Amino acid sequence: MLNLYLFQILNGLGLGMIYFLISVGLTIIFGLLNFVNFAHGGFFMLGAYFCYALLQATGQFWVALVAGPLAVGAMAWVAEKVLIRRAYHLPHTFHILITVGVALILQEACIIVWGPIGKSIPIPETLQGVVIMGKFAYPKYRLFLILFSAVIGFALWVLLERTRFGALVRAGSESTEMVSLLGADIYKLFSLTFALGVGLAGLAGVLSGPIRGAHPFMGPEVLGLAFVVVVIGGMGSFTGALVGGLIIGLVQSLMSSLWPEGASLMIYGAMAAVILLRPYGLFGRA
Amino acid sequence: MTDGYILETQALALAYGGFRAVDGVDLKVREGTIHSVIGPNGAGKTSLFHCLTGGRRPTEGSILFAGEDITRRPAHRRIGIGMARSFQVTSLFQNLSVRENLRLAAQGRDGDRALTFWRSVAEGKAHLALADEVMERLNLTARAGVAAGDLSHGQQRVLEVGMALCGRPKMLLLDEPTSGMGIDDIPVMTGLISELGRDHTVMLIEHNMGIVMSISHTITVMSRGQILVEGKPDEVCADARVRAAYLGEAA
Amino acid sequence: MTAFLKSKGIFGGMTLAVAAILVLLPLLLPSATLASEILIFAMAALACNLLLGYGGLLSFGQGLFFGAGSYLASLAMIHGGFGLIPALLAAAVAGAVLATCVGWLSIRRAGIYFVMLTLAFSQMGYFLAYTLSKWTGGDNGLLDVPRPDLSLFGIRIADLSSAGAYYTLVAVLFFAVFVGARRVIDSPFGSTLVAIRENETRAAAIGFDTRHFKMLAFTLSGAVTALAGALYAMLINYVPLDNIAMSMSENIVIMTIIGGTGSLLGSLLGAGALVTLGDILSAMWPRWQMLLGLALILIVMFLRGGLWGGVEHALDRFLKIREKGNAP
Repeated sequence: MLNLYLFQILNGLGLGMIYFLISVGLTIIFGLLNFVNFAHGGFFMLGAYFCYALLQATGQFWVALVAGPLAVGAMAWVAEKVLIRRAYHLPHTFHILITVGVALILQEACIIVWGPIGKSIPIPETLQGVVIMGKFAYPKYRLFLILFSAVIGFALWVLLERTRFGALVRAGSESTEMVSLLGADIYKLFSLTFALGVGLAGLAGVLSGPIRGAHPFMGPEVLGLAFVVVVIGGMGSFTGALVGGLIIGLVQSLMSSLWPEGASLMIYGAMAAVILLRPYGLFGRA
Repeated sequence: MTDGYILETQALALAYGGFRAVDGVDLKVREGTIHSVIGPNGAGKTSLFHCLTGGRRPTEGSILFAGEDITRRPAHRRIGIGMARSFQVTSLFQNLSVRENLRLAAQGRDGDRALTFWRSVAEGKAHLALADEVMERLNLTARAGVAAGDLSHGQQRVLEVGMALCGRPKMLLLDEPTSGMGIDDIPVMTGLISELGRDHTVMLIEHNMGIVMSISHTITVMSRGQILVEGKPDEVCADARVRAAYLGEAA
Repeated sequence: MTAFLKSKGIFGGMTLAVAAILVLLPLLLPSATLASEILIFAMAALACNLLLGYGGLLSFGQGLFFGAGSYLASLAMIHGGFGLIPALLAAAVAGAVLATCVGWLSIRRAGIYFVMLTLAFSQMGYFLAYTLSKWTGGDNGLLDVPRPDLSLFGIRIADLSSAGAYYTLVAVLFFAVFVGARRVIDSPFGSTLVAIRENETRAAAIGFDTRHFKMLAFTLSGAVTALAGALYAMLINYVPLDNIAMSMSENIVIMTIIGGTGSLLGSLLGAGALVTLGDILSAMWPRWQMLLGLALILIVMFLRGGLWGGVEHALDRFLKIREKGNAP
């Protein structure tokens, strides 16, 4: 029985790290650009499909793991240059409209290329099977997912806290003028940040591919989840995205053994509870 | 009402972290007077004003208005008891007409009674009448249908005061009413304020000492979050500490 | 022409134009069912417009109220033996209550957080409907929703089983909602809502408790949206889970913005354009939503006032040209 809980807790950690990767991208973009990306779920889906396609083409998961997020990030970079930046000066309504447009195009494009029925993605051969620790066995791929996303999370933290790029992003979140004063090209910074944030969603899509597969309608659900994480954790906060993501992952995973049909519902219940007690989220600033 | 004072603060303080922007202010405004609060930049005038109008909650002390404790009362509930404010940076409904701006301000005095969604605006005759009256008083009648954002800066400043006037206040709190006005427009504003002083208590925050000398009954000079000197205009003018404070700023 | 449409009287100008459209719509369109669908979504867009165009509140959770109205009216008819009018009323009341709750929780945050909260709450409703599959049919949808006769105090007034008869009911209700919405906009409440959209700090400073106004806007919007949802369930005799999904919220917002915010006629235009195009294009190309995505991007680039803004602009130019032509 205890083993079952340990199993679900590890599952929850894995799920939570996926949610963290998605929402930290959303949060970084919002913090710097004051722009909400409603196509974030769409790019996550694209990551999952790229994982599928690259595996089909090369048979190498590692290729998908590296090239998938890069490809998603590159597409975001182009989208930012061509479309998104034209909307920065407009009210939020137009940010939402333009990114909803992008999300619809991504969704329909995926259906055209890969068909309306989802694809399941095989677990890479080297990561098949289980790790046995005493009496406890846990799937290798899921363990890999937790460790790998933790490494990525740490690298991201280093990038944001310890590099010039991170300093610029943090400065820009306070005031964009400051970035110009520091002598950096604000538009270049915007493009890179947008590509980075969306690339993280793409990475989350690739990583979750072998567990959840790829499905053309997964975008909206993922977007909703990312919003819940951000609402719980507080917008613009790295820690908030991490803690919020893990809470949601754990709630969903533990509930799925207690009340499988209601697992998704409970996520939103948790959010409502946080909102009632702390309107600005756990780590949000008023 | 105590001793003819309409507004009183007791040991009022507002701290931002360790910085005390307002540091133990006991201010008394006598009913029916024009009372100016002046001081160099960073003296805490604006922070004091925020506390009085409900924009910020004081960290210590209390505020009494007409004998009632209003320290923790939110901004929108200060209109009903007779306090109305203007903004230092013009804050109007830019896309709405002058008349609609004033009508809304008149309607605001009745607060939640404006929740009646089944009535027509045209039924609120009292609000329209008050708006027209104030418009006349401000010399803005000719511009009734013009969007507030299209008025000249001077007229916007006048409308800014008019918005407060439409709340039918006992006391008007004006935050640098002449801010950004051209030298030619300033007499219009000071004239308006002294006229308003005849039937209202007026408290005004001002950076420029010269403007308030001729119209104020009482002047309070603030420095570093505290009251430095208080008295009649000529007393304040002659006070060496005031000169030092202002000169210190100039240096 | 634009002056005529902008005329102030509730029964003048724009209202007459709408009455004419309601009569002509079923004659111009291939089917009365399509016409009903347009009006139902126009009703939902109108309710969204009250929040967005007048109150400046972008609710991405309107699908929650739409879906709740669909489910509640249908369940009341199937299990409670409710007639048509009681079922519609029950839906509207439930929508109002639900919207008040969501509004109360969401308006504590402003701007984009507000949008995210409304979206998250609607997702919560979606998963609730999904979880309660015993009642809602879950993924399969709620089947066999009846369309009762129109009756009042036990007296049967009309059989609504034909598409034309049902259209008449929908058109009458739409007209009532439209006139009601014009009154609301022209009321002290409506004018205060606009004031809050324009400058919330000032609105509070002149004495308005802005939360109360935003909440009431939500209540009214929720009631109308749920009514539209109930009418839609009776139109298609079925409640798909999609009625409460994010895509529904998205569609309602898109119709509202495409039509043009801040104009009630815009909502009718937006719903008409989207429903008709969807109907025509989906038959030709199942992936037509890709074009919709493209259209959204183009609107942000070139037509920020929406279709109604475009129409107004064109009319104004036309009138100016004619004036010049008439001048000696």
